[in-house]
Amino acid sequence: MLGSLIKSTLQGTLRFPQRQPEFDATRLGSAAIALPAPNGLVVPAACAAVLVDRSGRSRRQAAGSRIAVLEGESAWCVHPGPYTCELLPFAGAPEIGLRVHFAIDASDPRATHQRFDLFLASEAGCTVELTGFAGLAQTALQRELAQGNLELPPCTTLEEWNAFRSGFNQLMYTRFGVTVDDCVPVDLGAANDYAAMLDARLAARPDAIQPPAAAREQAAAPHSATPQQAFVPACEDARALRRLFLELPCLMCAVRMAVMPADQGRFRQHQELLRRLDLVSLSVGTMPALELAAPGQPLAQDEQLRRARHSRRAAAALDEAWALLARLKVAGEGPLDALFDEADRIVANLEAEAGARRAVSAREVEADFEPEEA
Amino acid sequence: MNVAASLETSVCRSIAADGGMLAITATRRPRAGRADVKCSVPGAPAVAERMQQVVRLARHAEARFDSRDQVVLSLDRAPGDGERDWELAAVLADRIVRGVFTPQREVVANGWSDAWHLGRIDGRRLAGAPAGVLLGGADALPHLGALNGQPDPGAGISSARAWFPMHSGGEHDGLGWVEVSVRPLARLGEGEDDPVSVPDVDAVRQAQVAAVLAGARHFDGRGQGRWRTTVRFGEPRFSGDSYQLALVMADRMARGREFAARGRVIATGASRAWHAGRVEAVEALAPKCALIAREAAPGDRILLPKDWEAALPQGLREALRARGASLACVERIGII
Repeated sequence: MLGSLIKSTLQGTLRFPQRQPEFDATRLGSAAIALPAPNGLVVPAACAAVLVDRSGRSRRQAAGSRIAVLEGESAWCVHPGPYTCELLPFAGAPEIGLRVHFAIDASDPRATHQRFDLFLASEAGCTVELTGFAGLAQTALQRELAQGNLELPPCTTLEEWNAFRSGFNQLMYTRFGVTVDDCVPVDLGAANDYAAMLDARLAARPDAIQPPAAAREQAAAPHSATPQQAFVPACEDARALRRLFLELPCLMCAVRMAVMPADQGRFRQHQELLRRLDLVSLSVGTMPALELAAPGQPLAQDEQLRRARHSRRAAAALDEAWALLARLKVAGEGPLDALFDEADRIVANLEAEAGARRAVSAREVEADFEPEEA
Repeated sequence: MNVAASLETSVCRSIAADGGMLAITATRRPRAGRADVKCSVPGAPAVAERMQQVVRLARHAEARFDSRDQVVLSLDRAPGDGERDWELAAVLADRIVRGVFTPQREVVANGWSDAWHLGRIDGRRLAGAPAGVLLGGADALPHLGALNGQPDPGAGISSARAWFPMHSGGEHDGLGWVEVSVRPLARLGEGEDDPVSVPDVDAVRQAQVAAVLAGARHFDGRGQGRWRTTVRFGEPRFSGDSYQLALVMADRMARGREFAARGRVIATGASRAWHAGRVEAVEALAPKCALIAREAAPGDRILLPKDWEAALPQGLREALRARGASLACVERIGII
């Protein structure tokens, strides 16, 4: 550290006066996973720098080197961890959770793209806080459990727990590029008091009798903690399309590698899937602007809202596709038929949402074949 | 996985205000670029429009979305003006035809809602319905998840159901349910006994239910002194103790302290030591297993006492797994 400081100072004095830019690294590794880093920063010890260009290509710089941003690149400083977070597997059971220890590995030399770097490029936006990241992980986990792709039933047996763990580990690695070191069930009763939460819900109802002041204060707390985010069509649409644009090519690449077709039939199925994904990717790449019905012709606000909703649903299908990729990786030859059917469903959803996002009006989506019918 | 379980056609009925039956037929076919839901009601296009809206809203409460199919729903005749009790039947017909809900017998359902997108069922107009009719409303089926006994994540009072095999050797054998509703006690830690009320059963049973809950909550460590509890049985007249495990599981689900099954929890087991969380064997292994094998639906979770494990009928586990249900023999309640 000291050596690199002296070296950089020397370099600075020798060439042009360049001071170490201001950067607060104290939160890295505890409350924050990744922070945007200024150009010229010497990457702090134990961290790595991830630089992403406009098309989503990423490269890393090791600790101790000076970040040199090329044209169009943005840089993050990433601490590998380890981190600890608590996830709720079921929204309806707030007193039982999972304590998860995870870390971000050094780049995998075998992979063509680092999943965590892709996550930074496509979803991070600015800083990646641990709580925000845990929220995303929790959403992914809850969706897989609700669909029955992961199982965590009442009175989970050891065998079922092990099956869950391998599926969960793979999900976290495939979806976010983080490695789960440990995961244990925990009693969250102290942090999430369900009785108090229900009290708050009862108090929030319009027909509620006024509770004592203490209960009212408790009631106010959870509401202020999670403010409802407004749905801004332009932001939501841009964010979802950016994700699709950057992630679909990587997803296709991973799907191609994940399955080694055993016979001609499976090969055709696989090829067809990739072909359709390619077309969705093309459709996303050539997506018309949200606010235009035709060049120079603005689109009505409610239609913009509808388009943004379809973008968001397409992004949700993309999440499902990553989760399915994780299942493909842990599955043997046995459940491949079911998994390919799931893939067919997800790609069909992507196609439907992308098509509806292109459409100028809701009528256009549904009226395609309707006149043929009696 | 819903792939194997889905049908091509399903019919749900609803009792109309004039006392006659309305039948809603749902048919599933490839989407082929058409609308996801299509509805027809003879002579009442406004009702058809409302039906499409209801079904689409109710789909928001589902975890899995499939755009490959079109579901066509048709009512056999127009309901009366302003009648809305058919809404629940339409939602269920749509779910059955896609394999999301797999009832064991024909469905007759009455209920309406202003919040289908939350899965909530607000009420029904029908009064004095015959037994076996699914009724929407706070006192019967308050939301769609309750079909599987799960608590409503938006409600202020949390209730959960678990099922247990009732066996007497007669033709009335079947799955009974026990429902636990908990409501927070206004002031915590008063040191009083937790109030537990069990309407419709005798004093001995009431005392037993209260003792089982007290024991299991003691084992749990966090259940005491914070809940006002109401326990209801689907069929209050029965004998034996084998309902206890189902009661304990429903209580843990209602208090948000148990992992959730996708379907119902079906459990049989008793204990003399709930305070230690122990689950002990009960009588009638063979007929109860046969009953469970018959009744289990996709997503159901079956819990049996550990002592039964060695004596389980051959092929039961595999048969249940093939149907999408899972079975565990447990020695004690709680995590692993």
